Amino acid sequence: MNFADMKYRLSEFWSEFKKERSGLVGLAILILSLLVVIFEPVILPWKEANSKWRNIDYWQDNSASAPPAWTNAFTKLKAPETVRLEKAEKEEAELDGGVKLVTYTFDYHYGADKAPLDVIFHITGHGDVPVQVSVERPDGTTLDLAQRFEQGLAGQDIRISLDNDGREAAFSFIKNYESAEALERYSGRSLRTGDILFNVAREGMAMEFKPLKGTYKLVVKAMLLDPENSSVENPYVVVTGSVSGILGTDDSKRDLFSGLVAGLKWALLIGLLTSAISVLIGVIYGIISAYFGGAVDSVMQFVYQIVNSMPVLPVLIVISAIFKPSIYMLIAVMVLFFWTGSVMTVRSMALQIKEETYIEAAKALGAKKSRIIFKHMVPILIPYSFASMALSVPSAIVYESSVSLLGLGDATIVTWGQILHDAMQGAAILKGIWWWILPPGLLIAIMGMTFAFLGFSMDKILHPKLKTR
Amino acid sequence: MYKWFALKRVLKGIVTYVIIIFIMSVLFNAVNEQTMRSNIEEQVRAETVRLKNMQPAALQRFQEQRRQDLIHLYRLDRPFMERILYRTWNTLTFNFGKSTIIKSSKGEREVLTIIGEALPRSLILFTVAAAIEIVVGIILGLKKAQKPGGSLDRSTSLITMIVYGMPTFWVAMILIMFFVYQLKIFPSAGMHSVPPPKGIMYFLDLLWHMTLPLLTLLLIGFWGVSYMVRNIVLSVLQEDYIMAARARGIPENRVLFGHTLRTAAPPLITMSVLQLLASISGAIIFEGIFSWPGLGNLYWIAVQQNDIPVLMGDLAITVGLYQLGLIMLDLTYGFMDPRIKVGGKA
Repeated sequence: MNFADMKYRLSEFWSEFKKERSGLVGLAILILSLLVVIFEPVILPWKEANSKWRNIDYWQDNSASAPPAWTNAFTKLKAPETVRLEKAEKEEAELDGGVKLVTYTFDYHYGADKAPLDVIFHITGHGDVPVQVSVERPDGTTLDLAQRFEQGLAGQDIRISLDNDGREAAFSFIKNYESAEALERYSGRSLRTGDILFNVAREGMAMEFKPLKGTYKLVVKAMLLDPENSSVENPYVVVTGSVSGILGTDDSKRDLFSGLVAGLKWALLIGLLTSAISVLIGVIYGIISAYFGGAVDSVMQFVYQIVNSMPVLPVLIVISAIFKPSIYMLIAVMVLFFWTGSVMTVRSMALQIKEETYIEAAKALGAKKSRIIFKHMVPILIPYSFASMALSVPSAIVYESSVSLLGLGDATIVTWGQILHDAMQGAAILKGIWWWILPPGLLIAIMGMTFAFLGFSMDKILHPKLKTR
Repeated sequence: MYKWFALKRVLKGIVTYVIIIFIMSVLFNAVNEQTMRSNIEEQVRAETVRLKNMQPAALQRFQEQRRQDLIHLYRLDRPFMERILYRTWNTLTFNFGKSTIIKSSKGEREVLTIIGEALPRSLILFTVAAAIEIVVGIILGLKKAQKPGGSLDRSTSLITMIVYGMPTFWVAMILIMFFVYQLKIFPSAGMHSVPPPKGIMYFLDLLWHMTLPLLTLLLIGFWGVSYMVRNIVLSVLQEDYIMAARARGIPENRVLFGHTLRTAAPPLITMSVLQLLASISGAIIFEGIFSWPGLGNLYWIAVQQNDIPVLMGDLAITVGLYQLGLIMLDLTYGFMDPRIKVGGKA
């Protein structure tokens, strides 16, 4: 089959396919998800989500189990969103004795009704650096909240969390407004720094939170005692809100949207690789079985029946539990079961093709058996198995996620099934953390739907008997 | 002759099962022997604890002796091939040994007892679900086939495709979240209330616990059945004798349920049994979500506790059930479609 033939057949197929509306929808979603995979580095809000999914430090500035940011639209009291401030005004000043003072000022616009959970300052330091953080509130008061003196740094990150490190300073701020008795009464209650920092300063502020909206200046000052050998760089501030990102976070503070985007390519890889390889094997197996016939056919049919009478998922679970396979091994094991899907159809079609005159002609010309099979039969039969290829993609994805749900997934990657496993472990159902359960399963379902759309449409075109008459 | 056909099919099923178990014995040989050896160690230790007044040297000799005896008893000192065959034979005779951690409700550690307890619970859930699925599916499928391309056909076909790749366990999670924790009308887990009520209330209680798992299976299941019924029935409806029956003025329902259904019965049965088997094979881990104490839940527990003997036994029984289902399928098919059994070809 040459290129012109191929082009003709493709265009013929396309003109039929265009009429299937659901098939077009499937194709659109498939192309969209391929685009997401290609532009993943741009789309990922957390760039290293792939490699650091199980690294607790990478996610530590997020809030745990935070709902998606857009849930604010449905609540009366708006919650602050987790934001990362990287744009700072830098000031450098020479002090007496050769000491240099570097000041970074971040602007934070606060307009929510609830207090942020935490404000976390990050700065990378070299040498010996005392660091001090303070906040200038919209009402003009300035709070010196925390200081830290790190010595002998070599590019480590200095992390100052106001909720931990600024609690005492915040408490002394509240003392200016509250009477001693009131403080006595509420000292038992643990006050968050954020609840004080973003509160309107007044009597009774310990009791009730009233947001002081406006622009806060978050200031981090680093003193370079020995400017030759010490320096600071890369300052940023994370204001941890109680809602976060597009799809919220899980109980290990991981951004779920990043996880889902990172899982997409694995879902596609698992589905497409498994189905493509197994259909290819199935087609060749079916043709060989039909072409040689006789004893070869009998033996091959027997092997086919044995594989076909094994329940896939239980075997897959036991194999995963015992051998703890990597994702590629898992795909290989799935191929061992999936190739049977197209054998029977291909075999029956190959039995007909085998008797065609052009095969006879090829034989008369002295063509080898392998040439007849791979040159004349495989190219004709492959398109017919496209439908079964598309239809076996969802099962591969669902099987992988089932195995992952049991906690047997490949721990070096992120898949949707593993996110669901974590959700089960974290009792997300009981706690009603729907943003942890709904999206991963929904994506699996949408992937399944996409390939079902494609598969059913192709089935209709390739097997005209099923057409609605 | 039907009996020859049946005999042949049963024998073939048994041979297939033996081969599958053999393959598994080879595949899981290493891990099986490892558990056996640790079992032997445990047993030797347990036996020596009872012997108090004994010289250390004699004790050691005794331990070594017992270890050798047990290794010989379990044939761990025999050549590889013999070990495999011995293991295959043990599995085929349901001699799965003792579990390492999991216990049955009476505290026994026989794997067969544990599985025997779980098996009926799985069967009741999946057979009831499959029965409802098939009835609803057939009715819906017939309606769809009556007016192919109509609005009912188109909309339900669309739903079929939408739920095609939907993971059952996920639907289970969503339903639990909504019905159990939001509306609080169903129990979250298990099969009975604790303690289980007596008499008629026992069955009502069971039904109440079963509703949500059943609902999950149905919500996903019957669309596919109805789609397949539609395709099968649609080809039968094109036949001339259906047109003849209609022309004779036979009521449409009788044409549909009498003439069409009888001809379409063999493929429909195939499809329904395959549906049941697929749900055993595919949706089995969803039992874990509902803590429904069946075979699927047993996989879940065995994986978490790393209880290899239970895992192996569970797998052997599941494969056996699957095989049994396939045999039953061909037998009924042969019974329903006389053309198959004439030649005795399977």
